[in-house]
Amino acid sequence: MLWRTIRSMEVMAHSSNFLLPKLHQPAKTPANNYTLVVLNQQLPRFMPRLWAQAKMRICADGGANRVFDEMSQMKNDLDRNRYIPEIIEGDMDSIRPEVKRFYSSQGSKISDKSHNQETTDLHKCISSIRHRTPDHEKPNLCVLVTGALGGRFDHEAANINVLYVFSDMRIVLLSDDCLIQLLPKTHHHEIYIESSVEGPHCGIFPIGAPSTSTTTTGLKWNLSDAEMRFGSMISTSNIVDSDKVTVQSDADLLWTISLRNLT
Amino acid sequence: MEPHHPRRAPTGAMDPPTPAGARPAMSHSSAFLLPSSATPAGSGDAYAVVVLNQRLPRFAPLLWDRAQVRVCADGGANRVFDGMPELLPGHAPDDVRSRYKPDVIKGDMDSVRPEVKEYYSNLGTKIVDQSHDQDTTDLHKCVAFITDKSPGPDKSNLCILVLGALGGRFDHEMGNINVLHLFPNIKIVLLSDDCLIFLLPRTHSHNIHIERSVEGPHCGLIPIGTPSTSTTTTGLRWNLDNAHMSFGGLISTSNIVDEDQVMVTSDSDLIWTISLRH
Repeated sequence: MLWRTIRSMEVMAHSSNFLLPKLHQPAKTPANNYTLVVLNQQLPRFMPRLWAQAKMRICADGGANRVFDEMSQMKNDLDRNRYIPEIIEGDMDSIRPEVKRFYSSQGSKISDKSHNQETTDLHKCISSIRHRTPDHEKPNLCVLVTGALGGRFDHEAANINVLYVFSDMRIVLLSDDCLIQLLPKTHHHEIYIESSVEGPHCGIFPIGAPSTSTTTTGLKWNLSDAEMRFGSMISTSNIVDSDKVTVQSDADLLWTISLRNLT
Repeated sequence: MEPHHPRRAPTGAMDPPTPAGARPAMSHSSAFLLPSSATPAGSGDAYAVVVLNQRLPRFAPLLWDRAQVRVCADGGANRVFDGMPELLPGHAPDDVRSRYKPDVIKGDMDSVRPEVKEYYSNLGTKIVDQSHDQDTTDLHKCVAFITDKSPGPDKSNLCILVLGALGGRFDHEMGNINVLHLFPNIKIVLLSDDCLIFLLPRTHSHNIHIERSVEGPHCGLIPIGTPSTSTTTTGLRWNLDNAHMSFGGLISTSNIVDEDQVMVTSDSDLIWTISLRH
């Protein structure tokens, strides 16, 4: 057997307990210590819960239209005043004037970044969040994003690229069907599976560059020092087989897991 | 679907990059999206349609009419059964269903409703149960089937149009994009209501003809799987000139088509995407 030196690598732990109803969250976890960013697509069905438990809520431009139009319908309550984002940020070319006026009058801060056409609305929001967060709080920072997947493919790719550009931040993209997040190659990853709300379908993708060596535990079809590359093998339609999945790789990987039972 | 005994991907160097001058040209066109009156008869392209298990885009009947082969991957058959009559509300549902009848329903059959399977089977649709084969995705099986079936060794005029490959579960979407990389010599286009995507293999220089009445202006070039050290384009608002592209760095999104022809040459396989007009 060939022994190899195992580089001691810092462990990065991941958990989706932010998706659990508040009652079921483990005590003393910073589970609601997340900032929610809403992009301009139909709100996922679990949005009311995500909104209620967030530390801060930011609408990226047209995301404000979505909250204005859809949130109160989801809750069967017509009171828009209950769902006011703290910040509306972006280039403001999608938000409807009456929506902007309403939220502004309700106290939302309008952060107009239309002078900057180089970056996407999500990029601007993440950059601002990072800029506003004191250094000592940065390790606990978690950003959940809705509306980043589906729709126009170039938007989706740009949103995924934000995960790579800000690879030292925890950013989770959420849809009705799944969540995705980056597993940077700099860390050994432990992913704690909340089986009441996620799984069993999962996958791991070397979107940026191929992997010559990826090793996992906790999956139905684990990888053992495996090569992964688009044009060859990538891990799709895998199944979580344990409460904890571990991943270690020489490449940055995108992790995805299906969502369930969320309202 | 994962292999039961995962093995290392084939080792060995990838093909060395083709020098730019030596690359043959490949042309691309979305003429299949034009209303049938607008396309010349016998234009030479042979189309196949594959329907995966997501809501049909609004132009599904147009593409179906244009195709010579129509394959539903498992639950895609439910989508055709339910969705075609909805898209053609002026006609009796049974008339629509018999007119839009798949040639084949293929896959592991765990999503197609039994009554849908029986309905099409009675109309003559071939049912190919592949539940024993868990090594490849449904789309992969369909593309392999269509290419095996198409006559002659030259597949250069075959174009496979895929509905339902984007959106939904992200691992499915990635698996579908990987099929584009696994079959770089077959034209495969993934379509949704909002956009289409296809692969621009690095082995060729590409001429993309833009059908402005149905597509654009938003477009992008995405290096999925491998960074590009050199990509050059013409015809875009923000052209690339021997540019580096990678995740974590620059990728070309929210670009705009400025001319009727876009040309792309790259040292890396790229995904081209363009928005569709509503």
